[in-house]
Amino acid sequence: MSLVEIKDLKVHYPIRTGFWNRITDSVRAVDGITFNIEAGETYGLVGESGSGKSTTGKSVVGLEKVTSGSIMYKGVDITKKANRTKLDYNQDVQMIFQDSLSSLNPRKRIEDIIAEPLRNFEHLSKDDEKLRVLQLLDIVGLDADALYKYPHQFSGGQRQRIGVARAVATNPKLIIADEPVSALDLSVQAQVLNFMKKIQREFGISYLFISHDLGVVRHMCNNIAIMNRGRLVEIGTREDIYNHPLHIYTKRLLAAIPETNVNQRAAHRASRLAVEKIYQEQQSKYYDENGEAFPLIQVSPTHAVALPENIAKQLASQEGEVQA
Amino acid sequence: MAENFEQHSDVSAADLARLTQEAQAEATPSTAKIIWSEFKADKPAMAALFIIVGFILFVMIGALFINTPKMMETNIMGYFNQPFTPEYWLGADSGGRSVAKQLIVGSRNSIGIAIGLTVISSTFGICWGLISGYFNGYIDWGMQRVYDFMMMLPMTMMIIVLVTIIPHYNSVTLTLIFSIFYWEGTSRLIRSRTLAESEKDYVSASRTSGTNHWKIIFREIMPNISSLIIVDCTLSFAENIGVETGLSYLGFGLPSQTPSLGTMIANANDPNNITQYWWTWLPAALEIIILCLSISYVGQVLRRAADASQRQGAAD
Repeated sequence: MSLVEIKDLKVHYPIRTGFWNRITDSVRAVDGITFNIEAGETYGLVGESGSGKSTTGKSVVGLEKVTSGSIMYKGVDITKKANRTKLDYNQDVQMIFQDSLSSLNPRKRIEDIIAEPLRNFEHLSKDDEKLRVLQLLDIVGLDADALYKYPHQFSGGQRQRIGVARAVATNPKLIIADEPVSALDLSVQAQVLNFMKKIQREFGISYLFISHDLGVVRHMCNNIAIMNRGRLVEIGTREDIYNHPLHIYTKRLLAAIPETNVNQRAAHRASRLAVEKIYQEQQSKYYDENGEAFPLIQVSPTHAVALPENIAKQLASQEGEVQA
Repeated sequence: MAENFEQHSDVSAADLARLTQEAQAEATPSTAKIIWSEFKADKPAMAALFIIVGFILFVMIGALFINTPKMMETNIMGYFNQPFTPEYWLGADSGGRSVAKQLIVGSRNSIGIAIGLTVISSTFGICWGLISGYFNGYIDWGMQRVYDFMMMLPMTMMIIVLVTIIPHYNSVTLTLIFSIFYWEGTSRLIRSRTLAESEKDYVSASRTSGTNHWKIIFREIMPNISSLIIVDCTLSFAENIGVETGLSYLGFGLPSQTPSLGTMIANANDPNNITQYWWTWLPAALEIIILCLSISYVGQVLRRAADASQRQGAAD
């Protein structure tokens, strides 16, 4: 059984108009997505901004009200608040936020910030609690003198590590990492990512890694889901996604990764334009008449793509992939 | 669980005392220390603080030694006595009552009402605004309609009517009557900031850490809007001195046998008093000006202390 099973998750926001403020339509931020997160693995959720990946993450951690669908954890549907409270769900599922500065209360000292989940879930004695905070600071590579300082006294990378320490504090099973490094510069990104990997090895944590940076996702994730307009368009292992992308949206995302090899600038540009041309010309093939993605079709045991069955088969054989 | 952390960290229970000490040496100063260093950097504000504290203590204690009913007795021999005489330091009014003594008791009454009013109305307004802004949705809608209804009532007229209806009113009932109407501005101000503040990630982080709503409202959000609260409280304190004074001046505040700053300024109703008997109203007017100025100086220092980027005091 998977650690977390997300089934047909929908998050819709009502649009109210008119004199009576009636609900006339809805924004379908997340529109029926299904995937499982296994224990100990890193699951990547990739998509452009506005594709609903953060909303998905927030629903999994319980911050967003789910319209329909279920998220099963330990055999219980945690989209209901009562079930989350009963399980002490957030002791097991924590979150790392994108903006490290706004995710740490500027009026609280680091000790109180990291100890907050401990105080709510574990009720340790004062000395044990302080010891745990010091150990956590040590694990994320900060000195003990950080204890009584305020968040604004740290650099971005240090703050994000404090955010990681807080998320790890209760020894959770799953951490939702919502673009944890996109606000950091490149050298610090690598530092924090390696750090998250190290913690994963040591504590056996699963990550739901939300990002738009395919380079980072390749570094972190074994399984990847590509999201577009609230739906999943392609699911597969790292191998499937990077070497045999089937959906045009995935291809576009991959083409958008910047290349630093200046000598082949023209070639890269040509290949990007080719992908874009296919996208412009063949949209009707890849999306249904409403411009939305099709349901997912399995093309190999690990690889699924949102295309009509015949096109999916045809593309898969073109890519030379092993048929399911 | 605990073993899990011990395995991956070199820190153990033996290091606790040493590390705590190291951390304390590097600790950022507490809020009280920051406020004090701010005061030290701003001399006029320091003087203002001493004036306010000294004056409030003086009138509160001084009023205890004055027999108010006896002081308010008419003494025909002291009719508009000149100031700076041994018996009447600040002269006497048309009833031959000592202005200096009235000033002390009157300040006690006015400041007492202002403090009481500020405490009650600000506490209520802050709670109302925080709860309304944090929960949003239907709760916010309902609370804001109550607010709209209260705003719609003509405040001064309602107070005057209430004061006439209640038979034996004194400074306590007057404070309570004022409090019904003076929480609104604060609550709207606090709500607007809370709406913005509760969208921030640290509130989400607290929620995923399992902190309950009330703790998030009063321990997470409230400290973050404390600069706004402090400024609003100091300004409304200065304003509240004026509220009582204004109504008493119009004759609807405290009963006439109870002296207050307002009843003393009301002496200026008479053109004769303005031109010839300046000592009957000038001391009270000066006192209000000085007090309000001092309070706003202190409020500015508190605001600077709450906002790191505006500080003038010595860093750390």
